[in-house]
Amino acid sequence: MSLLEIKHVSGGYGEVDIISGIDMHVDPQEIVTIAGTNGAGKSTLIKAAMGLLPRISGSIIFDGTDLLALPIEDRIRVGISYVPQVRNVFGALTVLENLQVVEHATNKQARIREMFDLFPALAGRRAAYAENLSGGERQQLAFARALMSSPRLVLLDEPSAALSPALTDQVFMEVKRLRTIDVAVLMVEQRARQALAFSDRGYILDSGRIVLADTGANLLANEEMSDVYIGRGQAPSGSHPSHHPA
Amino acid sequence: MDWLSVANAAINGIVIGMLLALPALAITLVFGIARFPNAATGDYMTLGAYTTVASQAFLGGSVVTSVFGAMSVTALVSLFFYFWVFRALAERSQVARLIASIGVAFAVRSTITFFAGQDQHVVDVPLVRAWNFGGIRLLPTDLYILTTALTALVIVFCIMHLTPTGRRMRAIADNAELAAASGIRSKRVMIFLWSLTGAFCGLGGALLGIKAVVVPELGWELLMPMFAGVILGGIGSPVGAVLGIVTFSIAQEVASLFAGPPYKIVFAFVILLCVLLLRPQGMFGRPMAAR
Repeated sequence: MSLLEIKHVSGGYGEVDIISGIDMHVDPQEIVTIAGTNGAGKSTLIKAAMGLLPRISGSIIFDGTDLLALPIEDRIRVGISYVPQVRNVFGALTVLENLQVVEHATNKQARIREMFDLFPALAGRRAAYAENLSGGERQQLAFARALMSSPRLVLLDEPSAALSPALTDQVFMEVKRLRTIDVAVLMVEQRARQALAFSDRGYILDSGRIVLADTGANLLANEEMSDVYIGRGQAPSGSHPSHHPA
Repeated sequence: MDWLSVANAAINGIVIGMLLALPALAITLVFGIARFPNAATGDYMTLGAYTTVASQAFLGGSVVTSVFGAMSVTALVSLFFYFWVFRALAERSQVARLIASIGVAFAVRSTITFFAGQDQHVVDVPLVRAWNFGGIRLLPTDLYILTTALTALVIVFCIMHLTPTGRRMRAIADNAELAAASGIRSKRVMIFLWSLTGAFCGLGGALLGIKAVVVPELGWELLMPMFAGVILGGIGSPVGAVLGIVTFSIAQEVASLFAGPPYKIVFAFVILLCVLLLRPQGMFGRPMAAR
């Protein structure tokens, strides 16, 4: 049974549909990448799953729960976390406060210690305001904040946005690490070639519709689609998915 | 102009500034969290002052119990208008909510006038002699006002920085969408916000009633200086709101020595303009592009 099941979802911010007739799923512990051209509706799809889209139709089921019936604040309770593309931490709060403020974390103090173990760079910066962190630290904090509630699915909106290539590699390492702690990932990524290289599956979005769904490896191997939607370039070596082939 | 006059004016400015820091903080908290400038803030203050007067007149309470009564009544009225007006308009534009808050201000003032008329009132406090330190005069009443305002400000800063509710408030002020995605229920925070800011306005009004004559326009006339102080300090910054309004009040009082009381507000606004030319985001505000 899929962890997240999106069926016939359409919606947008105004009267015009940005995404239309979306059908997709994410299985437990799976990394799924949504790729596509600029303006294809990738981030809108992620926002729809998190409840941040003003108008939406269809159904989004998470582990048997109808998400569309839940307010945003309750989605974290059923096991979903979200890391936005920009402003993904509370800049005016310290690192520690960013973690403390997350609701639905059982045994919050112990969970914070776990997060500092998982992201040791943050432990020494716990009193620093998030707005003063470096790009890499900030992204780690965004991940830690998202993991505070022990989610089973993390929605990532372009985690490598505005990061240097070195930091991008570091962030992708963190994404891969999520699978090892039993967390599934649904990720929108502009650097799709790199992301698909370690994703179990991928969806290609164009003008708000899914035009192709396949394993990450097969999508990268499809030269025609790859040139149009993913961009040329080489995927990093040794980045093949380790489990859950579609 | 001797330095003693300037020092006495500055002390008076500090007392008035600290007193107005309470509603100024309410303005900046509502702006930061509910995201609109609440023009009813001044009239909530007026309500606080009138409640103190009424409590003394009809219930015979002491000043302290009357002030607590004023805080409670204003907090309840603030909550009432939140549930009745501002919650319903939460998704509307900032301008729509500003206009609605002006309507609330008129409603509060008209209700006060309906029951209390246009007569002047005073909060009944014992007459005291000013302390004189080599020409620098300080009224014990002013010291009580200063201490009360300072204590209230310390309490609210402790709430903001040391309690889970305060963290939630700061999180929503920083990034409302991320706060919702983090499971923070903004409606609960709003109830606390409107209770707290209402109580603060009530306290500010009660203290102002001790220092000035209570009339229906008491708070409304202070609205512009309060907004100016908040802008001077940096919109959305609680520390900025306090320091901004204190700076603005000192500037007003000192300017009255040179330009005369009618022009003191002009002088204070000149200072405001000069600061904003050098630092458009105010003394403690963050540049909007970075938010």
